[in-house]
Amino acid sequence: MATEDSPRFDTVDWDEITSGGGREVTKSLVALGASLAGLAALLLYDYVVVPDRTATFAAVGWGYDVTKLDWLLALSLLFVAFYGALPLYRNERMTRYYWKEFKKNRPAVASLVFLAVVFVGGVFGPLVISSPESELLRQFQPPVFMEIPQNYVIECVGERAAGVCRGTWQHPLGTTPDGRDIFKMIVYGMQISMKVGLIATLMAVVIGASVGTVSAYAGGMVDEVLMRYVDIQQSFPTLVLYLLIIYTWGGGLFTMVLLFGLFSWEGTARYVRSNALSKSEEEYMKASRLSGAGTYHTIRRHLIPNTASSIITDATLLIPAFLLAEAQLSFLGLGDTSVASWGQLISVGRDHLSYAPWITLAPGLVLFLTILAFNFLGDALLDALNPEARAEAES
Amino acid sequence: MGLGWYIARRVAWSFVVTFIIVSVTWGLLTAAPNPEVQQAAQQAAMAGDNPAEAQDRVRQLRGLDRPLYEQYIGYMTNIYTLNWGWSDSRAQPVTEAVTEALYYTVQYSVPWTLLVVTLGPLVGLYSSANQYSWKDHLATGFAFFGYAIPNFFFGIILLLIFGVELGWIPITYNTDVPVFSVENAIQLAVPVFVLVTGSIGGIMRVSRNESSEYMNADFVKTARAKGVSTFRIYARHVLRPTMVPLSTTMVAQLLALFTGSSILVEVVFSIPGLGRLLFRAIVAQDTSVVLGTSLFFVFVATIGNLLQDLVYTVLDPRISFDER
Repeated sequence: MATEDSPRFDTVDWDEITSGGGREVTKSLVALGASLAGLAALLLYDYVVVPDRTATFAAVGWGYDVTKLDWLLALSLLFVAFYGALPLYRNERMTRYYWKEFKKNRPAVASLVFLAVVFVGGVFGPLVISSPESELLRQFQPPVFMEIPQNYVIECVGERAAGVCRGTWQHPLGTTPDGRDIFKMIVYGMQISMKVGLIATLMAVVIGASVGTVSAYAGGMVDEVLMRYVDIQQSFPTLVLYLLIIYTWGGGLFTMVLLFGLFSWEGTARYVRSNALSKSEEEYMKASRLSGAGTYHTIRRHLIPNTASSIITDATLLIPAFLLAEAQLSFLGLGDTSVASWGQLISVGRDHLSYAPWITLAPGLVLFLTILAFNFLGDALLDALNPEARAEAES
Repeated sequence: MGLGWYIARRVAWSFVVTFIIVSVTWGLLTAAPNPEVQQAAQQAAMAGDNPAEAQDRVRQLRGLDRPLYEQYIGYMTNIYTLNWGWSDSRAQPVTEAVTEALYYTVQYSVPWTLLVVTLGPLVGLYSSANQYSWKDHLATGFAFFGYAIPNFFFGIILLLIFGVELGWIPITYNTDVPVFSVENAIQLAVPVFVLVTGSIGGIMRVSRNESSEYMNADFVKTARAKGVSTFRIYARHVLRPTMVPLSTTMVAQLLALFTGSSILVEVVFSIPGLGRLLFRAIVAQDTSVVLGTSLFFVFVATIGNLLQDLVYTVLDPRISFDER
C-alpha cells in the first residue's frame, strides 16, 4: 500500500471528517439502523413469541406465515431502498440526468415497466390473490381466445362449440393437468423468482465487489489469498455443489438461494478486480491517497463508485443467471418441489405439449421476457452510468 | 523466473485446487447420512431383522468403521488412481460409464465451443465498429434473444416444431449412427444451435462493450493517422486489448454453461452424455456415479481456469508474471 510508509496520514479517519460536514449521511444511517432494528424485532417476535405452525401476523388477523426467505427478502429490499433508491432520490440532478439518458433506450423503458409489474406482482400478488387450488374437474382449460378438443377436458368452464372447449376470463391463461389456474401460478412464481434473483444477487454482488476491490487495492498477500480462493470457487461449479448438497442432505429454496448467493460471486470478484486494477492507477485515486485518505475511504468513495458501472452490468447478468438456474433445477425436478415456480410449470406441460401447449408456453415466455428485460435494462444502465464509453464511441 | 516458471507454478496450483475440492466432497459425503446404510436398515426392518445390525454390516463392508483419516486417505488414493468405484444402477465401473458418456458429450460440445469462441468476439467487434447501425441492432437483438431464452425451453419448442410438427429431425437421439455422418449432423444440429444461441449472446455483448471503449482510444487514433489498414486496426489494436477482459468472462461463462446446459440439453434431447448420466444417477441414488460425474465437471472447470490464466498472460504483456 502506498500509505503504509506514512502512518501519520494513515491514521486519519477520513470518513469522520467527510461525514462531519454533511448531516444527511448520519440521518440515513440512523434510518437504516432503525429499519434493521424493526426487522430484527419482528424476526425475534416470530421465533420467540409466535408459537410454531401459527401464521406470523395471526394477531392482527392476517394469515400469512412469513418464511425464512421472506425475512431475507425484506432485508434485501431494505438495502436496495437505502443504497439504491435513497441516493437517487437525494441526488435529484444526477437522477434526472440518468433518466434522460436512460429514456433514449426505448426497449429499456419497456423492460423497466415489465420488471416493475413482475416486482409488484411478486411482492403483493400472493398477498392479494388466493393460492392456486387443484380442481381436477377443471383440467386443461384453454386460455382466453384459444380452444381445445372436447375429449381432453372433463368440465368446460367456457362455452362449448363444435366439439371444442373455448377459454374464458375465469382462467385467462388456462389451467394445468390438475386444474390449477396458470395465471395465479405465474403470479406466485414471480415471488419465487424475485426472491431467488434479488437475494442471491445482492449477496453475490456485495461479496464479489468487496473482494474484487479490496484485492485490487490491497495487492500483495491479500490479493494472492483472495484470488486463490476465487480460483477454488470457480473450479467448483455452483450447480454441481448444489446437486451434491441436495443429494446428500436434501434442500429447499432457502438452501438454493443461500448457496447461489454465497458461492457464485467469483465472476463478479474477478471482473470488478480487473476493472478496479486499472482504475486504481488513475490520477484521482493517487490524489485521494496523497491527500491522506484511508484505505476504507478510498475504496468506498472513489474505487467502488468508479467501478459501479461494471458492478451493475455484472449484476444485471447475475440476476437472470440465477433465475435460469432455479428454473433449470425445478424443470429437472431437483428444485424445491413444495413451491410452484416457473420452471416446474414448464416441466408439467412438457408431456402435454401437442394439445395443451400453453402450460409450457405461458411460464416459458414470462421467464424469457423477464431475462430479456434484465438484459435490456443492463445495457441501458451501462450507457447511462458510464457516459465515457459512449462518448468515446460516438466521437 | 520467466513464463515457464509461471506456467509450472500455475499448473501445480491447479493440482492443489482439485485436491482441496476433492477433500471438500469427501467432507460432504462423510458428514451426510449414507443412503446405502439407510437402505440396508430399511430392508432389514422390512424383513424383520435387526436394522442396527444390518447397518453395521454395511458399514463394515464399505469400510465406514475405520478411523476417519484412513477413510480419507483411501478416498483420495482411489480418486487420483481413477478407481472410482462400481455403479450399481448401470452395473459397470464408474470410469467406464463416464468415458462412454463423454463420447456423446464431446460430439456436440466441440462444435459448440468452436463456433462460440470464433464467432462471438468477431460479431461483437463488428457490432461495435458499426455501433447504432441496423446491423448492430440486429446483432444485439440476436444476442439478447439467444441469451434470454432458456436453453431447455428453446430446445423443447424447437423439438416440437422441427421434430413433431415438421418431422425434419428425429425426436429421440440415435446412438447407432457413426460420428461423422449426415444423420449425426442432423440430430446434433438443433442441440448445437440451441447451445450456441444460448452462449454466444453474453460473449458478443461483453466484446461489444469492451471494444467500444477502445474504438476511439488514442492509440487507435494514432494507428489510423499513421495509415494502418482498418483490418489491422481491428485485429491488432482493438481486438487484442478486448480479449483480455473477454477471456476472463468467456471461460467462466462457457464453463458455467457447460455444466448447466449439458444436463438440460441432454435431458431434453435425450443424448446419453455426462449431464444425463449425472441426472440419472441422482434420481437412482447412485453415489459413486454422482461423485464421478461431479468430479469430472470439477476437473474440466479447473483445466478451463488454468487455460484462462495462461491465455490471459500471453494476451496481455502488461501483466507481469515474475512476481506471481
